[in-house]
Amino acid sequence: MTLPLPLIQALQVLIVAAAAPGINGVIARVEARLQGRRGPRVLQPYYDLGKLYCKETLAPHGASWVFLAAPLVAMTCYLTVPLLIPVLTAYALPLGDMGDILAGGIILAFASFMVAVAAAGTGSPYAQLGASRAKTFAAITEPVVLFVVFTVALVSGTDLPYAMAETVTTSAEQVVRPAHLLSAAALFMVILYETARIPVETHTGTNEFGMIEEARQFEHTGPYLALLRHGSAMKQLILFVIFLNIVVAPWGLAADAGLLAVVLAVIALLGKSVLLGGVIAVIDDSFAKLRLFKITEFVAAAFMLAVLAVITLYLGGG
Amino acid sequence: MEAVLVALVTLPLLGAALSVLPGHSVAPVATVSVGVACFALTLVLVPAAAEGPVEFGFLRADAISVVFEIGTGFLYAMAAVYSVGYLRWERDRPDFARYSLLFFAGLNLFAWAMLSAALMNGLALLWIAVEITTVVSALLVALDGTRAGAEAAWKYVLLASAGLGVALLATIVIYSAGATVLGPSYDLAFAPLLAAGDALPETPVQLAFVLAVVGFGTKVGLFPVHTWLPDAHSEAPTPISAMLSGSLLAVSFYAVLRYYQVAAAALGDGFPRAVLLVFGMLSLLLAALYLVEQRNLKRLLAYSSVEHMGILAIGVSFGAPIALAGVLLHVLAHAAAKGSAFFGAGVLVHAYGSKDVGRIRGGLDRLPVSAPLFLLAVLALSAMPPFGLFRSEFQIVAGGLAETRHVPAVAMVALVALAFVGLSVATTRMLFLPGEAVTSRAEPSAWMVAPVVVGILALLVLGLHPPAPLVELITRGAAELGGVL
Amino acid sequence: MVAAPPGSYAGATTALAVLMLVIEFGMLQATLLRAQVRLYVAQSVVISVLAVVVAVGREVPELFGLAVFSVALKVVAVPLVMLRLLRRTDPEIAGSRAMGVASMVLLAVVVGAFGFFASARFGLVSPVLPTATLAVAVAIVLVSFVLMIVRRDVVSQAIGFFALENGVSLASLVVAAGLPLLLEVAFLFDLLVAVVVFAVLIRVHHEQSESLSTAGLTELQG
Repeated sequence: MTLPLPLIQALQVLIVAAAAPGINGVIARVEARLQGRRGPRVLQPYYDLGKLYCKETLAPHGASWVFLAAPLVAMTCYLTVPLLIPVLTAYALPLGDMGDILAGGIILAFASFMVAVAAAGTGSPYAQLGASRAKTFAAITEPVVLFVVFTVALVSGTDLPYAMAETVTTSAEQVVRPAHLLSAAALFMVILYETARIPVETHTGTNEFGMIEEARQFEHTGPYLALLRHGSAMKQLILFVIFLNIVVAPWGLAADAGLLAVVLAVIALLGKSVLLGGVIAVIDDSFAKLRLFKITEFVAAAFMLAVLAVITLYLGGG
Repeated sequence: MEAVLVALVTLPLLGAALSVLPGHSVAPVATVSVGVACFALTLVLVPAAAEGPVEFGFLRADAISVVFEIGTGFLYAMAAVYSVGYLRWERDRPDFARYSLLFFAGLNLFAWAMLSAALMNGLALLWIAVEITTVVSALLVALDGTRAGAEAAWKYVLLASAGLGVALLATIVIYSAGATVLGPSYDLAFAPLLAAGDALPETPVQLAFVLAVVGFGTKVGLFPVHTWLPDAHSEAPTPISAMLSGSLLAVSFYAVLRYYQVAAAALGDGFPRAVLLVFGMLSLLLAALYLVEQRNLKRLLAYSSVEHMGILAIGVSFGAPIALAGVLLHVLAHAAAKGSAFFGAGVLVHAYGSKDVGRIRGGLDRLPVSAPLFLLAVLALSAMPPFGLFRSEFQIVAGGLAETRHVPAVAMVALVALAFVGLSVATTRMLFLPGEAVTSRAEPSAWMVAPVVVGILALLVLGLHPPAPLVELITRGAAELGGVL
Repeated sequence: MVAAPPGSYAGATTALAVLMLVIEFGMLQATLLRAQVRLYVAQSVVISVLAVVVAVGREVPELFGLAVFSVALKVVAVPLVMLRLLRRTDPEIAGSRAMGVASMVLLAVVVGAFGFFASARFGLVSPVLPTATLAVAVAIVLVSFVLMIVRRDVVSQAIGFFALENGVSLASLVVAAGLPLLLEVAFLFDLLVAVVVFAVLIRVHHEQSESLSTAGLTELQG
């Protein structure tokens, strides 16, 4: 039985939206286990979101329309990106060539920009701190993403995510080439930063001075906060998908529109994401949070890896 | 002759081994006798090497290397004699026994490494020997245990090692260039590499030559990588300063010469000569300017070394046979002159307890024997006739004019004159300006005067009438260097 | 332009070489004496592995010998000597950077990139390794110079020299894999002697100035 392509495409978006909080739950659970605690249920993030979606909304006095629009815009962005990237299928879906990998990056950056603007508009010192810090470090992480994209584009000769994934799967040679390894490492570091994981931030929701991601949502409440939280989780899964299905391990994607293939692809995606989440949980437990000033060093290291990737590629070495 | 080669690379080791034996007099006796024996052995090599290279295993002595061997052997012997007197000054150190042991063992090892370097047949072995000279001499620079000594030693070992890292890269590159002709696995010996000559690929040889000039040039003291040199020369114990300046720099220059031979064979003269001319001129310029301003006696002599190394590089860049002969003679004369000057300066510094040129006054009154000898050494160092350096610099300039390199030749003469002004002003001030009333004559023991006398006599011989076998040797060396043989 | 994949042997060897360069970057910011030595050990392990890979992939059996010697010296002996001689020193070398980490890395990237592109013009071809590894070797050499310049403590400077030697070793693997084993071993023993001397001088320095910093070494000038 074959599924209509638009349905698969909708499924891509749905699976990201639905599975995202679960991945957070898994990471929290693994982390707790590694620390010898029982930890929260894997489904806990869903309960949290459900609770927030049902609460009333409060906005700070004098906050502009941006404050209320931002969570919606961000969510829209996060719902758009899965249309463009190979979440489930190895072939391009009807709207998949609507934008290339750069477009995906821009949409993600726009979401983050809107949230920062909203945070800056509240007048709350914590939220403003978070917003300005996020943008400061983004000044380095964005070029990293660009360089990774350049590497991808140089390797595959196109900037379409599907084509890149296909190139990686063609041979082992594509996997061991240094440009590929370096850009993967750089991307992984950016993902740690973007998803607010150790060594950049603690992801436990505790309020402290070093926070970035948490601080930006400080003034939002109720469904808006839920949208932001849900959005963050979705961003995490989207970045996982980009990392896994485009750069590192684009295996297990559905090769055709058959129901079985799609179901297997869903299972593979969840399996890979949980595995990656496990790795991140281990990192969370093994390293200490960096001091704020050290985060520059962390992202500078990612930048260096990305530049090296482009240079080695340019030299023909790989 | 083979036995001489083997003896030259084993005797100093024996000397070092004897130096660690217990007993006060064993080390000085062993060092002096080994030093003198080594010098004699280098002289034995002269007639044979003037005929053609002597080879034994991985040892090889051709005319060029024997010239450097003589210079090193001479300073080894002189420094050994001087050290006997020098160490009497250090008697009051609380750790004298340890100091003396380390000093003599280190001196022998240092001489061993330098004597071996010029006898190595192959660029790789040469690099290894030069690296060993670095590490041994760095320890000797720090031997005095002063803060400044530690600083100088650290700067020296770091810069020289970094330079030698670059030189190692040069070795690797020249190896890969040679591999295209001599097959993937060979041992970098000189003769096959020179024979390959034209067939070597150009760009790698160019690269290797520049890397070698910069790398080994760090140890030669070429601008702009000379910065360790004044520090190390001024903080090392005096006999070591003399060996650093007279032999170590020369041995490092010997390594540059070997690369020059290969580069000239592969690329023609133009490129290597141009590179050496630039480095030589800049070093000479810098040294001449520093000499005018320098207030520290030992640093003054150190900058004079930079000057003379610049002259050597310029001489090679002129390339005329007479200039190349001048370069080889210059190596010998510089060893004798710089050795004598450092030995004399050591006496002055000790007598006044200061290295500051401004504090040393009335030297002729206080040191009626050593001071005039020091004056003669400085005059010799400034290439005054009738000393050997006059002859060698004259030959170099004549070679430059013969090759119609008028501008560099004239510039060299002008800069040497400037350096002369710097050196002589400082020296006359120290020796002739009246100082405090002399209470006691501070003449050192005969051990410390004799080397200076011998050095000045050697300079006179080299300047007035170099012995015939030596002239033959130098002529042959110049021919080897010019690629005629 | 589609860059053709370099082949798994070439890719793997280049990746190992690049890993050495990345470790070199790590040395720019290491904050502890031990960390610095460990990074050096890691780099040495990588080059030994690389030697083995070349030995297997291109059938140069001497390189097995080289790998064994290089492990024995660089991975075992050198760290042992360094750590033993520096047991009593202060392990902290964090404050010795002459500039911020980010600017240091940027500077090193620029210098390294210069090395990359300069080496493309050398016209050296390697019988056993992709040419890009030579570029990486040159970059390692240049970055180790940066390391020696921007870090003002004796340990980092010494490790910078050892890393420089690693870069040259890499270059020798690339363009001179046929270098007789005897010479390679002689180079390595030479390195060991240098390490001992460096360690002794570091100790002398530490005794004189009671720190590992070189910021106070300003007495000798002119």
